[in-house]
Amino acid sequence: MVLLKLGIIFTLILSFFWLFVFGPFYDHIAIQLAVFIGVLGWNTLRFSLQETTSLLKFCFPFVFTLFIFGLIFHFTRLFGRQDWLADSLIKCLVFPSSLVYLKVVLSYITYLDIINLPISMKKRVDLITIKSAFSKGEKILRRFSWYLNTYPELKSGSNIKYALKKYACLIIALYLYLYEEIENSNRLLRNRYQHLNEANK
Amino acid sequence: MRSGCSLIPKTAFKRYFEGMEIKRGTYPLARRGLNFRLADDLNFKNSACRFYLRGGNGFGKTSFLEKIIIPALKEDKVPYIYIGQDIRTQLYTLRALLSVQGIKVSDNDEVELLKLWIKKSRSATVFILDEFDKYFPDYGFIFDWSNAFIRTYIIVTHLGEGRSDALSAKYQTCNVRFDLTDFDGHIKNISVKKE
Repeated sequence: MVLLKLGIIFTLILSFFWLFVFGPFYDHIAIQLAVFIGVLGWNTLRFSLQETTSLLKFCFPFVFTLFIFGLIFHFTRLFGRQDWLADSLIKCLVFPSSLVYLKVVLSYITYLDIINLPISMKKRVDLITIKSAFSKGEKILRRFSWYLNTYPELKSGSNIKYALKKYACLIIALYLYLYEEIENSNRLLRNRYQHLNEANK
Repeated sequence: MRSGCSLIPKTAFKRYFEGMEIKRGTYPLARRGLNFRLADDLNFKNSACRFYLRGGNGFGKTSFLEKIIIPALKEDKVPYIYIGQDIRTQLYTLRALLSVQGIKVSDNDEVELLKLWIKKSRSATVFILDEFDKYFPDYGFIFDWSNAFIRTYIIVTHLGEGRSDALSAKYQTCNVRFDLTDFDGHIKNISVKKE
């Protein structure tokens, strides 16, 4: 049963990427916009509006940079291409859509599913660690952002400079957190499993 | 996430936070299920002062800091240093901040990290500590590092005043008490008064 569920989830992911990211509907901007709205709606229903807004805020600097580069390439006619702007607009929709879609679909995999998987305990522990670290990381992002807003030293310079510095800090903080969190959770889980095993023997 | 500012109308901000003074009055934080009734004005621009915020768990001391005091400091562009209750989480952002500023932080422990940050924040005049004594019961080192430039300390604590030292002469002490007056099942009415 669990294999069927995971099979469906991974088929959904592959189909999404095949259809909208690498496949036939990639350059249909109207379809991409509809997918973007649909995915955001799904995320809102699954989680909350606040959650969706904070995800969009997180994506914004990347999307904005993508758009600005697209604009520059378009007006400088880089490599003689005249479709930079249209292509950038599509990428600006595809990037957040795929991110949110992956997040929503993967959220249907529960800890119970991982426990029921017919794999070795070591791999199970690794999967549980990854799931736990990423779901914690997602929640912690808002708190990181809040703390970064309390550091006046970040606010020196223009608004753009501030936004760039803030997002650089956010990514570094998240990376450090995930790195430590994965290591700690993994150690803790292995330790618990080992002691349970010994107790059972 | 909505900021504290959005929880209180802008007009209310102008009325309440003139000159870094939080005027007595009612401060509703409905999203957090709290309603503060501030009985006395809190003036953070007075001469050197240490404010000790005390009260039971769940009486909104941290919410008062994060949703009322900090937005007021931001509004008045008062530079401040804030060490939150979840210091372990905050340390990740501090490491990131110092790295972005070009400071090597990989080998530093948490105390060294705080020292580096505080040294870099000499423009601050207000220092806020939220239950810092939970991690460092003797946190006198914070004063040693910062009393040269900090005028006001705002300290949330469940303990006493900390060590009594030369700083006690330099800083006036003001105790602020948070008490639950009633709870209707949704909103806690909290009275906040100076002792």
